[in-house]
Amino acid sequence: MEAAVNGIGVVGGFGRGTADLLKYLKSGTVPAPSNSEFYPVYAADISYLDTVIPKRALRRIDHFSQLALSGIYLAIEDAGLESIDKPSTGLIICSGYGSAKTTFSFLDSIFDDGDACASPTLFSNSVHNAAAGHISIILGLEGPSSTISQFDMSVPSALLTALQWLEEDRVDHIMFGAVDEYCDVMGYSYQRYYGMNENTKMAPLVPGQQSAVPGEGAVFFLLSKKESAKGYGSVSSVKAGSLFDKGIVFPQDSFYILNADGHKKTDRNYHDIIPHGSLASCYTPLYGSMPVGTAFDMAVGALSFKEKTLFSSPESVGCLNESRVLKEKCINRYENISCVKVSRQDELSIITLSSR
Amino acid sequence: MKQNAPVAITGTGCLSASGLSLEENMNSLFSGIRNVDVPTGFSSTHTSKYPVFEIKGNIPGLTDDDRKKYSRTSQLGLAAAREALKNAGLNAENLSGLRVGVCMGTTVGCAMNDEPFYRDFRDRLKPDMFPIKKYLNSNPSSAISCEYSLKGPCQTLVNACASGTDAIGVGTSWIRAGICDIVIAGGTDELSRISYNGFISLMITSERACMPFDKNRKGLNLGEGAAVLILEGEDSLKKRKKDPKAFVLGYGTACDGYHLTAPHPDGKGLRRALKEVFADSGKTPEDIGFINAHGTSTPDNDRTESKILRELLPGIPFLSTKGYTGHTLGAAGAIEAAYTVACLEQGRIPANAGFSETDPELCVTPVTENTEILKKTALSESLAFGGQNSVLILSTEGI
Repeated sequence: MEAAVNGIGVVGGFGRGTADLLKYLKSGTVPAPSNSEFYPVYAADISYLDTVIPKRALRRIDHFSQLALSGIYLAIEDAGLESIDKPSTGLIICSGYGSAKTTFSFLDSIFDDGDACASPTLFSNSVHNAAAGHISIILGLEGPSSTISQFDMSVPSALLTALQWLEEDRVDHIMFGAVDEYCDVMGYSYQRYYGMNENTKMAPLVPGQQSAVPGEGAVFFLLSKKESAKGYGSVSSVKAGSLFDKGIVFPQDSFYILNADGHKKTDRNYHDIIPHGSLASCYTPLYGSMPVGTAFDMAVGALSFKEKTLFSSPESVGCLNESRVLKEKCINRYENISCVKVSRQDELSIITLSSR
Repeated sequence: MKQNAPVAITGTGCLSASGLSLEENMNSLFSGIRNVDVPTGFSSTHTSKYPVFEIKGNIPGLTDDDRKKYSRTSQLGLAAAREALKNAGLNAENLSGLRVGVCMGTTVGCAMNDEPFYRDFRDRLKPDMFPIKKYLNSNPSSAISCEYSLKGPCQTLVNACASGTDAIGVGTSWIRAGICDIVIAGGTDELSRISYNGFISLMITSERACMPFDKNRKGLNLGEGAAVLILEGEDSLKKRKKDPKAFVLGYGTACDGYHLTAPHPDGKGLRRALKEVFADSGKTPEDIGFINAHGTSTPDNDRTESKILRELLPGIPFLSTKGYTGHTLGAAGAIEAAYTVACLEQGRIPANAGFSETDPELCVTPVTENTEILKKTALSESLAFGGQNSVLILSTEGI
């Protein structure tokens, strides 16, 4: 089963919408992370939601769900839809850590006000599928809905379900979203694990260098059975498993987008697994390190088909031992673009987009 | 939606306050035993002691290393998976050459809510990272996959209280699509002080033992547990010369798009999920021998579910088993699916514990005593926060 990409909504440290992402891709520049108390972060600006959802309605919706809503509204706008086909549209959201900020805010309410005064609003927003709930309420969705949390493998795992729903004729369209948010506990964890990051320039694939900067944001795709009318191509295959599983075969004729994100332990794996002689790129310095980062890579891949361009990797990206990392943009002649991610638990995923 | 092939269930495992194996659970249910009491695993400052269904004693089959490495939620999931695999005649050795996927549902299991860690973090005491490491080790599906060195897909569903049902539905899809030879599918959740406070804050928790579908019901009791079904494709069954113990015939799921924590009063999503599950299974309401209802004992849930039972599934015997387990959240759908399989195998269902008086507003009455069931097919349904509604049709027909 293939799923055509008919709309993309992105929000992250680079801005919002495909136009903002393209601006950086075309210029080869990278955004600067902002400072937070514990660590630099590629924070997402979701202030524009005020323009599409009444402030009163947003008051009871947490930051994580607002990130998701930003992504989905941008995807609907990008698809050129005036409204969603409610009965035949499913919703799938995946996240590495879910609404972490709200989980800790709920704990704050217990610590500050006592067990008997814990906040019901924070509790209901902290439930992992709250974002899907908010979206289905606001958009009036009637189809199936699912939320998946599989750390670094959240995107391929959730995409499997999206492709199955289309195959089984459960729905004709799927709003597929990937969301992760930054919180102070994450910043503290980065600080404890990796020390302070003095140089905030992400330099993935540079041997021995730990340069990951956490990111946050949301990516939504409108996936459909029908052929893409937008030139984004389609999701043609999803493979996931162990890094050491020889049964996972890399496509030989693909351009590779690597989610190498400046974690030296995982980055080194990319050197060995990409078929020798391949052409690859890495765009994580545009949006940062996050479990659902490969969904951002998918957005770049789809834009590469639409723009008929392979975008250069940012200057700070290192090299591969046996393959070439693209450092200058060029015409895209590839029919397949494969988005590859290796997790900290030695898991591997390959999501292949096809120009068809 | 297309009608799809039945998927074999070859093993079941279950832990809850009713017992540390599925057999123990069923013995408790048919004996009317309810292990509900004030929580012992944590304390709270509520003036009322809201009772819970807690697993007492050690979780069976775990090593000290398991206990140190994994959260309680993952420990429960692992124990259920071990029982189910043993029941299916499978072990690490004969799984090694197969494409085995893991699909588990949870709620607490994916939340980083370690209170001592976060208290120290707030107080600038630079807490140790062990709780973070444990959280990162404890994705319930990954934990099972790692323990058995499995190579198939891994998915943890966090669809609130429908997670366990959805996990079995997704696993069924993986088998049907030929993605896996075997899927370890189910749900797991531990009792947590955080969700305990959360449900109390929503004012849907009862100060007494819960009373699903009863006129005087006041809310739910939380519980903990896990259940796993082993789903197996035809090729693997043939190779192993293994007979199924039951089948998943269909799965339906739909959202209400109505409210974050309350069901649609007219059961909009549940109606669609039922329509889907009948289309998927090729069955009709006339084929259904009994319904394992969600039946949380909250006024809203039982009102909505009763309306649907009355209108779409009239006259079919039904029960909620939450009077024996409490509401085990992400595990509930899986535990209830395991119970449904066991009830089909035994040809009987237990009394709906906690029920004594029909609510005239609901106009439905669950079974009030252990009841013989002759039909070989049953339905298990879950309603959840976020407006999630999911239904399975399970059967022992042809076995």
